[in-house]
Amino acid sequence: MDISVGRPILRGTLPMRLVIFLMILLLQGCGLVIDAVQLVRPLTTDEVQAICARRKVQVGIAVEPFRPFVFPATFTDEGLRVTGLDVELIQELTSALSKHCGNEPIVPVLHLVRYRDLFVLLNESKLDLFVSATSANVPVPGRSGLAYSTPYFYDGGIGGIVAGSEVRERVWAQLRGQSAKPYEPAALRQALAGLTVAVQQGTSAQFYAEAHLSGIKLVLCDSLPAAFESQDPVIDVILGRQPVLHYIVTFVRKSWQQLMSDGQRPLLLTQEHYAVVMAEENYALRRFVNGVLFRLHESGRLAEMRQRWFEETYAYPRRAATEGLPFAAENMAQHYDQGACRIVPGR
Amino acid sequence: MKTVWMRLAVGAVMTCVVECATVGWTWAVERAEAEETARLLAKLLQSGRLVIEQNQTLIDDPHRGDKGFTPEVFEQQLIREFRQRTGIDLSAMDRTPPSILLPPLARQLLSALVQASKEVVNDAQVVINQRGIGYKNFIPATYGSQTAARFSKRSHVQLKQTTLQPRNPKNDPDEYEASVLRWLAGRPRSEAYVSELTEEGRTLRVVMPIYYVKDCLKCHGEPKGELDISGYPKEGAKEGDLAGAISVTAPLQTGR
Repeated sequence: MDISVGRPILRGTLPMRLVIFLMILLLQGCGLVIDAVQLVRPLTTDEVQAICARRKVQVGIAVEPFRPFVFPATFTDEGLRVTGLDVELIQELTSALSKHCGNEPIVPVLHLVRYRDLFVLLNESKLDLFVSATSANVPVPGRSGLAYSTPYFYDGGIGGIVAGSEVRERVWAQLRGQSAKPYEPAALRQALAGLTVAVQQGTSAQFYAEAHLSGIKLVLCDSLPAAFESQDPVIDVILGRQPVLHYIVTFVRKSWQQLMSDGQRPLLLTQEHYAVVMAEENYALRRFVNGVLFRLHESGRLAEMRQRWFEETYAYPRRAATEGLPFAAENMAQHYDQGACRIVPGR
Repeated sequence: MKTVWMRLAVGAVMTCVVECATVGWTWAVERAEAEETARLLAKLLQSGRLVIEQNQTLIDDPHRGDKGFTPEVFEQQLIREFRQRTGIDLSAMDRTPPSILLPPLARQLLSALVQASKEVVNDAQVVINQRGIGYKNFIPATYGSQTAARFSKRSHVQLKQTTLQPRNPKNDPDEYEASVLRWLAGRPRSEAYVSELTEEGRTLRVVMPIYYVKDCLKCHGEPKGELDISGYPKEGAKEGDLAGAISVTAPLQTGR
């Protein structure tokens, strides 16, 4: 059979070369060229396959301790470790990824950075995902390009704690003295009016306070420990993730007390669900994470994890040593510093 | 038959004299050098643990960010502590002529152990310098485990912390270490250490006891069973009780 009938295009006549040249010119911009090539031969696979290929998943965790979701980085017999509910969740996700990738072990590479920097690193594609008790439902202005998984922790919310019983009684008296229910924004505004209220910068508590709580002296802190230590100004109320605040007043700073709505239940300013955060366009990864969370939920494993970290008595250094995840020092913020607090002008 | 020969060490020179009567001079020298090297390695790891203990309040200070406890500062304190305990100045090793008190093997391995110690302190900087966090679990035990493991990976000499009831399973004693620890536990506190040849003289084992001091009792003292700050049940120990030991395993080239 004669196979020399056809002539290769690139060896074509001058007009043919001209046509190809003009076609390339017509594809204005590199993006179009890449799109055209991808139509013929896709260059990239989805993000889950990309993780399988590199055998590593880049995971962000807040360096500020959000006990018991994330405990402070600890030195153990095995080296540097971090532990907590969120870390256990990362292990579950990694284990599921390893199975999905044909039982090839997928290594979680942890980046311990300031909470607010997690969003930056994700936008810069340096992370595949991050897990740090991040609210999936409190609207945050200016935070685009992100997507949240289905929640792994329901029944969170923004709560408050106070340093002394005097402030607590004052808030409680204000709430009781009003016709509105304690959870009504107007009642909360009235109850907290005139108080110095600290929130951690970049958290949902900040955005909630800015949107709803006029009349307070708002203080932005780099971390919760900074709010506790602040002397100038002295903080009356700290608003933040209620489960974290509950853990802190129970185990760490017992002189602080939770704001209660009726003497029985903690006062919630709004409800929150915590979710895994990924890039908006990473649909395959989000589907994968949602699938894992669904199975963990249905099997009762999520409830078990919550029980382990919220109900049991334990010391985190021990859990860090036995089940914590390692991280490289270079992937941690140079040194965790609790930072400072600043009054927001004009409030 | 496996030779079992245990003694309380009273000095490497005496070892030489006794052994030379029955075995070759080379072997005796090798054993004496190995024993002195093992003893010094154990002393150096012990000195490092003491330096960490002396700086524990600083390390756990939640109000200070940069603690200034750098690998270099640690090294200076380590050298000082080691000199006080052995009379050997590690900073002047290059200028000291070889002797039975500081054999060539010891020079090499002590330097390697100092290096491993500094690396551990260096790796811990991100944790040590956290501000707003008190207890960081950078304590003599964790320092010792990490340093010994790092050193042992790079050396033919194996260094380990061990005790009869270890909190870290990796510190479980082997059969030999357990027997020595049991023997030591029944004796009053002493600076003596145990040295023995095993595997028909091919391996030297040196076990140097560590005793509880007052600072250790915050985590290891009474009431027994109560959880300490790191979450482990306290051992109910008293000052002067045997805490464990530093175990050194060194192969001898010649054998007997």
